[in-house]
Amino acid sequence: MSKAANQKLKLGIFVMLSTLLLVSALYFIGNRQNLFGKNIKLHALFYNVNGLQLGNNVRFSGIDVGTVSKIAMNNDTVIRVEMSIRESIQTHIKKNAVATIGSDGLVGNMIINILPREGITMPVVSGDTIETYSRIGTDDLLTTLNVTNENAALLTADLLKITTEIVEGKGTLGMLITDSLLADDLRQTIVQLKRSSVAANQTLAELNAYFKEVRQSESVANLLLTDSVSGEKMKRIVSNLEFSSDEMVEITAGMSQVIDDIKESDGALNYLTNDKDLVRNIDSTMINIKESTRRFNENMEALKQNFLFRGYFRKLERQQKRDEKKQTREDRN
Amino acid sequence: MATSLNLISRTITFFEEIGDITLFAIRYFRAILMPPFEFKELLRQCYILGYRSILLVGVTGFILGLVFTLQSRPTLMEFGAESWMPSMVSISIVREIGPVITALICAGKIGSGIGAELGSMRVTEQIDAMEVSGTNPFKYLVVTRITAATLMLPLLIVFGDAIALFGSALVENLKGGVSFTLYFNKVFEALSFSDVIPATIKSFFFGFAIGLVGCYKGYYCKKGTAGVGEASNMAVVYTSMLLFVIDFIAVFVTDIFFEV
Repeated sequence: MSKAANQKLKLGIFVMLSTLLLVSALYFIGNRQNLFGKNIKLHALFYNVNGLQLGNNVRFSGIDVGTVSKIAMNNDTVIRVEMSIRESIQTHIKKNAVATIGSDGLVGNMIINILPREGITMPVVSGDTIETYSRIGTDDLLTTLNVTNENAALLTADLLKITTEIVEGKGTLGMLITDSLLADDLRQTIVQLKRSSVAANQTLAELNAYFKEVRQSESVANLLLTDSVSGEKMKRIVSNLEFSSDEMVEITAGMSQVIDDIKESDGALNYLTNDKDLVRNIDSTMINIKESTRRFNENMEALKQNFLFRGYFRKLERQQKRDEKKQTREDRN
Repeated sequence: MATSLNLISRTITFFEEIGDITLFAIRYFRAILMPPFEFKELLRQCYILGYRSILLVGVTGFILGLVFTLQSRPTLMEFGAESWMPSMVSISIVREIGPVITALICAGKIGSGIGAELGSMRVTEQIDAMEVSGTNPFKYLVVTRITAATLMLPLLIVFGDAIALFGSALVENLKGGVSFTLYFNKVFEALSFSDVIPATIKSFFFGFAIGLVGCYKGYYCKKGTAGVGEASNMAVVYTSMLLFVIDFIAVFVTDIFFEV
């Protein structure tokens, strides 16, 4: 091989190799951007694309399946994003899939994530518009953090004021911390409280023991506490008592009515109860009756002694004796 | 006063030289379109300028990728962003560092070589002899070299970029346990056409500038051996400056068309 031919060969290899490298690089870059092969177009509408750019990746369940091919304002508020998706993925993306704009890592490029949802629906076709979901952006997070920081600043300012007043001995808490006398009083109070609690414990223990005894004994209290039949009886008794008390109330009311009637009427009872002269007359009458009775007894005794009536009285005595003897014989038999 | 006059004189000379280079470039464009075409010499120049620079560009590119990754790695690790290494290195190398460094190296090797070669030919009156013999020295010497440089430099830059990325991947593989597949996946994920195409277009201008300045300085070399040295030296200096000016303009134009 001549020198010129050798040079040509080497040059040809170099040129081919370098050209191949350039073409390969362009092919791989183009392939990454889905410029070669069959693609479908999907659309998504967003209110905010958060800096999404042409050529940013589109991922379906975390796999790179395409790129953003167009971003355009649909109207004043809505932005239409067109995605170029590999046709081989088409069957896996369903019509109910949701597109969200996210970030590839903390400081990475913006990407569109297409997330599948449950449910059986048809696969997307080229030109479909899928639903979108706006995640909380970094700006929103920072706004929330800003509000939180402002609140935290207010809280710390208040807290500082409170702690300063406490240190200065102002307010109840400050007094509690700084006043030694109050501390002694508090200590004594706590001691007293301890004692009280000990006493309360003892009392409770006694009460427990008492109730235990009550439960174990056959007393009425235990019966009332434990026997459901007795309880029912007690309920009935109480019920009857209530009924009786109601009856008593009615009777009392009737009595009261009767008494009122007696008081208000012109009958004998009202006269007897209210007329004092009558009482005095009755009293003197009774005295006169007693006196008359005494004198009548005297007269009767005088009659017994009188010969005209003596026979009659003796006859009565004999009859009485005979009755007694007869009674005695009957008792013996 | 003398200093002022000297400064004015130098400024005038500078602008005269720019005018001369522009005329030289116009002459080149005229000559390239008109036959006869020196294909054989063009291929020879492509071999000399392109193929014979592979080793230099390859070694430089490999070391560039290696060192760049090694130096960037601690800082990225500090932020827990080692995974961004392929993206950062690839974009830096493909967009800017690879083309500029390769072009500067080629300016040193090719530009000075052309300047010295044509300068010595001028000094030894070989160019004049060619004119006498009926051969168009401009077509044979200048057009072929400028065209060869314009065509070869983009290929050298692509080659240099690839070697640099390989060097970076090697470091990541050895230090971070990142596989070559993952590394180059990340590289192509990070790169876009707006990174590769402007850099490739820019590299044609770099090649043209290297060939043009080298040929101009050599073709119009002053008489004497000192003139050859000066031509070689000035070719490198002027080319290096011109490369940065072209790069500056290229970044502006790229920014307008690709919104970097």
